[in-house]
Amino acid sequence: MKTFLNIAHSQITGLPGAVERGRLLDVIERQGLPTTTDEVWRYAPLSQFNIDTFGAPERSEASPAFINDLTHHADIVVQIDNGRYVAAQGDMPGVHVSWRDEGAIDEAPYQDDAFALLNTALHPHVLSIEVDTDVSAGTVLLVHRVGTGASFPRTRISVSRNARLTVIEVWCGGTDAFVAPVSEFEVGDNAHLTHVTYQRLDSSAWHVSRTTARIERSGRMHQSVLCLGGQYDRARNDAELVGPGAENQLWTTFLGSGDQVHDLRSHQMHHVGRTNSVLLSKGAAADRSRSVYTGLIEIERGARRTDARQTNHNLLLSPQAHADSVPNLDIRENDVTCAHASSVGPLDELQRWYLESRGVSRQDAERLMIEGFFKEMLDVLPTDVARVFEADITVRVREVVA
Amino acid sequence: MRNELVIRDLHARVGDKEILRGVNLTLTSGEVHVIMGPNGCGKSTLAHVITGRPGYVATSGSVTLNGTELLTLEPSERVREGVFLAMQHPLEVPGVRPVDMMRAAGVTGNVESQLAEQSRRIGLRTELMERFVNVDLSGGERKRAEVVQISVLQPKFALLDEIDSGLDVDALGLVARRLHEATKEWDLGILAITHFRRLLHELTPDVIHVMSHGKIVATGGPELAEQLERDGYEPFREIE
Ligand SMILES: Nc1ncnc2c1ncn2[C@@H]1O[C@H](COP(=O)(O)OP(=O)(O)O)[C@@H](O)[C@H]1O
Ligand SMILES: [Mg+2]
Repeated sequence: MKTFLNIAHSQITGLPGAVERGRLLDVIERQGLPTTTDEVWRYAPLSQFNIDTFGAPERSEASPAFINDLTHHADIVVQIDNGRYVAAQGDMPGVHVSWRDEGAIDEAPYQDDAFALLNTALHPHVLSIEVDTDVSAGTVLLVHRVGTGASFPRTRISVSRNARLTVIEVWCGGTDAFVAPVSEFEVGDNAHLTHVTYQRLDSSAWHVSRTTARIERSGRMHQSVLCLGGQYDRARNDAELVGPGAENQLWTTFLGSGDQVHDLRSHQMHHVGRTNSVLLSKGAAADRSRSVYTGLIEIERGARRTDARQTNHNLLLSPQAHADSVPNLDIRENDVTCAHASSVGPLDELQRWYLESRGVSRQDAERLMIEGFFKEMLDVLPTDVARVFEADITVRVREVVA
Repeated sequence: MRNELVIRDLHARVGDKEILRGVNLTLTSGEVHVIMGPNGCGKSTLAHVITGRPGYVATSGSVTLNGTELLTLEPSERVREGVFLAMQHPLEVPGVRPVDMMRAAGVTGNVESQLAEQSRRIGLRTELMERFVNVDLSGGERKRAEVVQISVLQPKFALLDEIDSGLDVDALGLVARRLHEATKEWDLGILAITHFRRLLHELTPDVIHVMSHGKIVATGGPELAEQLERDGYEPFREIE
């Protein structure tokens, strides 16, 4: 890590909060990067990860064509290269997009997470999206282009009381890249945030992401995370339900091929009662790929009438593929409803037959059903937007399901 | 050319249980045949065996369409030969849209507008065709969606498994009329499984079959449906 940190120290010189950032780098140096003996990193092929091979990020590749189609459906489009704001188009009243040189950021929530700490020390600035109270806003599209090297994008989205917003983040590029984004979402009283991540990085990329949502009274957060690319793809998506009536829907899906690893994690923390979380994870693993879903639902004492559900369905498309599902419950209150269901297996035979009985060949039926995992995740978007992604998904699924 | 679907001495089991015990039936294009029979006599099983539902095994006999044996074909190939099943309980397929399903089934051209047009003809809200297949549709809407698929796919023969259940009177009228038109429009042959004579008003059947214990035990004209309504299935149980 020495080489990497030396470069890092020189990069932060002159950035706001340079002293704080430097101190954080020292903390990271002392702690070291995680190893697979750490329980939460046991599925990561860390032996193949040498952070010293990643320099400052280079210019990113051109973005795929479907992004052009997407931009027609968004009210604001923001281009971000390697975590750095490049340009924004469009505007909406009551919606503010800014890129702040904030300098030091509170590292307390990330103390046990070296990659999130690296982001805290090395992010170029914070891309901030704020929606004013009572504003029912449309869609913001964030196009992240990732170049070779290491980058640390940082995003904060804040939806004020009674406001609503949809944010779509697309990740592309990423050849031989290491990208470790950190995002924070604040969902105010009775506010509603829909957030969709479409990760289609190059299959050589290391992608280690972390998002945290804080949801206030009667606030609703719907998050869909679609994981297509990456050599190692880790998506940790947490939510803190802090006000009664707060609701979190987290839908995740992946398609693994080659020797990809998809490592999905979530932590739903129910601080108060009458809060509600729904986790749905579906994915397909082909070739020698692996996936793991580790979901922790934590319910605080006194958080009565909390409702938390977790469903996990994994599909294995080859005998060498592997999928694990590790549900964890930490419940300190009796008056709650919790449900968990998980399965690993082939596609639903009757659903497949239904398609076949319409004249769809078996192979096409399977392909449609796998594409369907992703299409379900996009169901929160307007149909015309979803269709743009669906076309891209079809291409990707056809590559994997021969 | 008249199409002919011939079911000959068909025996079938579900699990270890023999359900069909020698069914014989010949359908000709443009004709409407009806199968009536008590619950559990094997009506749905017949439809499922013909269309290759997993778990339904034909143990002997044959089902041929214009001479081609269907029972050895993949389910999708049977449809492409021309036999379509409108299910008693159409299944939900989350994540799959009707338009993509129909395209994969070989429908060409503007599939969206074909689905919309055929939906309108039977009073089904067209936006339901934009949802995932059967997801969040009521029982009656699913039945109508099956008829939309028949209209778009235009098979040679349609097996209708209780297409009338779950439909209100108005919807039933529209559906029955649409299917009757299809028998003229492209000479669709129909095998309708039903308990109710109401469907038959508009569908005007040519032949009624009574099924009991996995066999056809009586065949006759429309008057047979009247007799069934009057006397029930009990008299037919005797004929074994
Ligand atoms: N999937 C199945 N598993 C076990 N038994 C079945 C299955 N499907 C049908 N059966 C049995 O086969 C018999 C005929 O059923 P079915 O063909 O559905 O009757 P119906 O004439 O009411 O449509 C019944 O006894 C039913 O219980
Ligand atoms: Mg039945």
